Amino acid sequence: MEQAVDSSRRLYLLASFLVCAYALPFVVGAWAGTVRLDERWLANLATVVVGGLMQGGVYAMFAVGLTLIFGVMRIINAAHGEMVMMGAYLTWVCFFYLRIDPLLSMVLTLPVAFLIGLAVQKLLLDAVVGQPELTALLITFGLGLVMIYTTELIFTTDFRTIPYAPGTLQLTPSIAVGQNRVISFVMAVVITTAVYVFLKRSRLGKAVRATALNAEVAMVCGINVRRVYLITTGLAVALAAAGGALVSIQFGFNPETGVVYTLQAFAIIILGGRGHYVGALIGGLMLAVLENLVSLMVPNGTAMVELAAYGLMIGVLLIRPGGLMGVKED
Amino acid sequence: MGLREHVRNLALLAALGFTLAFLPSALSVYLRSFVLFTMMYVVLALSWNIISGFTGYTSFGHVAFYGIGAYACAILVADYGWHWLPTLGVGALLAGVVAVAIGYPVLRLKGPYFAIAMLGAAEGTRVVATVWDRLTHGGLGISLPSAETSMQTYYAMLVLMVVTIVAAYAIGHSRFGVRLNAIREDEVAADALGINTTFYKLAAFTLSGVFPAVAGGIQAYKVLYIDPPSVFFVQITIAMALMSMLGGKGTVIGPIVGAVILYTVQELTWVNFPTAHLIAYGLFIVLVARFMPRGLMGFAIDRGWARKGMVH
Repeated sequence: MEQAVDSSRRLYLLASFLVCAYALPFVVGAWAGTVRLDERWLANLATVVVGGLMQGGVYAMFAVGLTLIFGVMRIINAAHGEMVMMGAYLTWVCFFYLRIDPLLSMVLTLPVAFLIGLAVQKLLLDAVVGQPELTALLITFGLGLVMIYTTELIFTTDFRTIPYAPGTLQLTPSIAVGQNRVISFVMAVVITTAVYVFLKRSRLGKAVRATALNAEVAMVCGINVRRVYLITTGLAVALAAAGGALVSIQFGFNPETGVVYTLQAFAIIILGGRGHYVGALIGGLMLAVLENLVSLMVPNGTAMVELAAYGLMIGVLLIRPGGLMGVKED
Repeated sequence: MGLREHVRNLALLAALGFTLAFLPSALSVYLRSFVLFTMMYVVLALSWNIISGFTGYTSFGHVAFYGIGAYACAILVADYGWHWLPTLGVGALLAGVVAVAIGYPVLRLKGPYFAIAMLGAAEGTRVVATVWDRLTHGGLGISLPSAETSMQTYYAMLVLMVVTIVAAYAIGHSRFGVRLNAIREDEVAADALGINTTFYKLAAFTLSGVFPAVAGGIQAYKVLYIDPPSVFFVQITIAMALMSMLGGKGTVIGPIVGAVILYTVQELTWVNFPTAHLIAYGLFIVLVARFMPRGLMGFAIDRGWARKGMVH
C-alpha cells in the first residue's frame, strides 16, 4: 500500500518534470528573443508540433524494436541504431539499383532484416541472456562497430538521401507538412499497429508477452523460450529496418548516423517504460515533439536537440525509473 | 594473502616502474608514445574497474571524467597561461566534484539502467563542452601552446600509473574492497550487514573518476589539441570496459594485462590494416565478450592456474 502511494506521487513528480521539460524551450526562447507571439510565429509553432508528431511515429517504430528485445531478454541492444541505418541503406540500394519504390521495397528488406535478426540471436545473444549486462552491451556495441565500418567500406561516409514525395501537404491554411513525413507517419502507424495486434491476439504473440513477464513460468507452461527469443530479435531487427526505410525517405543518412538513433531509442523506451509497447509509442511522439520545440526556439539548436534526449532520459530514470507506464522494478 | 606476498607484489611493481623509468632513452619517439598510451589505458581500465569491477556498477560513460580532465588542462594552459602540472590537480578535483554530483543520484539505479544513465551523462557532458563555447571554444577545440613535452608527459603518466596501481591494489586488498565486493554480490544483504552502501558506492565512483581525469589532462598536454568528439569519445569508455573484461573484471592484475594486450592489438591492426582496422576491432570486441566474458583470469581459474574466487 505504501508503495502504491509512493508510486503515484512519483507519477505526479514525473508529470511536473515533463511539464517543465516542455516549458523550458519556451522560456529559453522568450529570453533569447526567438519567441514572438504574432500569428506567423504561432503558425510556425503549430507546424513544428505537427511535424514533430509525424516524426515521432518513426521514432516510435524503431524504439518499439529496442523495447521488445529489452522486455523479453533484459538485453540492451547497443547496435539498434546501426540496424536502423542498415534498413536505410537496404532501401537506398533497392531504390537506386533495383528501381523499387521505397515503401514497396519493405516487402524485400524486412524479411532480410528478420533473417539477420535470427542470425544475431543464434550466434551472439542466445549465449548471454541472463548474464551481467556488460556482456551483451559489449557484444552489441562491437556488432555496431562492425556494421558501421563495413557500411563505410562499401558506401563511403557520404550522406545519402532518397528523393521521395518531396511535395508538401496543406493541413490548414497556415500549417503545411512534407508529404514524405505524412506517408512515413501513416506507414509507422500501420506497422506498429500490426505488430501490436500480433502481440495481443496471436498465440505466438502471447508467448512473447508471457516470456517477457516471466521466462521461467513461461517455460513451465510449455513455451519454447529459445524460439520466442529468436522471433523477438527477428521482429525487432525487422522493425528497426522498417524504421530505417522511413528515415531514408525524409532525412539524409550516412554510416555513422545510427549512434544518434540508438540514444534516442534508449531515451524513448526509458520515458515510456522499458519493455512497454504502448509506452514506446507515446515516448516516441513525446521526444520528437520536444526535439522540434527545442530546435525551433533554442539558439544553437542542433546540439541542444541531443541534450533534450539525454536530459529527458536521466530525469525519468531518477524520478520514476519505471517511466510513464510505471513498469515494475526488477 | 600474507605479508610476504604483498612485499613480493610491491617489489614487482617497483621493478616495473624502474624499467619503465629508464626505458625512454632507449626508445624511438614512436615507441615512447606507444608506451605512454599503453600506460594511460592501464590507468583508465584500472579506474573503471574500481566502480564496475569491484562494485559491479557498469559505468558506460566513464569517458566523461577523462574529458573533464582534458578540458581543465587545455583551458587553464591555453587561456590562462598556467603551468600544466597544477592543472592536473584542478582536473582531478573537478572530476571528483562531478562524480559526487552525478553519482549521488545515478548510483541509486541498478544494472542496465545505471549503464544507460551514465552513457547519457557522458554524451550530455560532450554536448555541454560543444555548446558552452565561451569557455571551451566549442567544436573548434583548443590548441595548446607547444613545448618539448614528450619526456615530461611520459614521466607524469608513469607516476600516475604507479599511483593508480597502488591505489587499486590497496582497495582490492582492504576492508574497503571487501565491502565493495559485498555490494556487488548482494547489495541488500550488504546493507543488512550494516555496510553504508550509498557511501561506499559513492566513494568508489569518485575514486574511479579522479584518475581518468588526470590521465585526460596529461593526454591533452601530450597531443596538444583537443575537441569534444575526441576526448568524449564513446569508444574510450568501451576500451576501459573491454580491457577490464579481457583481463578479468574485479581483479587488480586483470585490467593491467587487458589494457596492455588490447592496446597493442589495436595499434597493430591500425598499422597493418588501415582501412579495416575498426571492423577488426569490432569483431574482436564481439569475440571477447561472447567467448571470454570472465577474461583471461577467469580462463586461468577455470583451469586451476590461479586462485579461485578472484574474478567477478
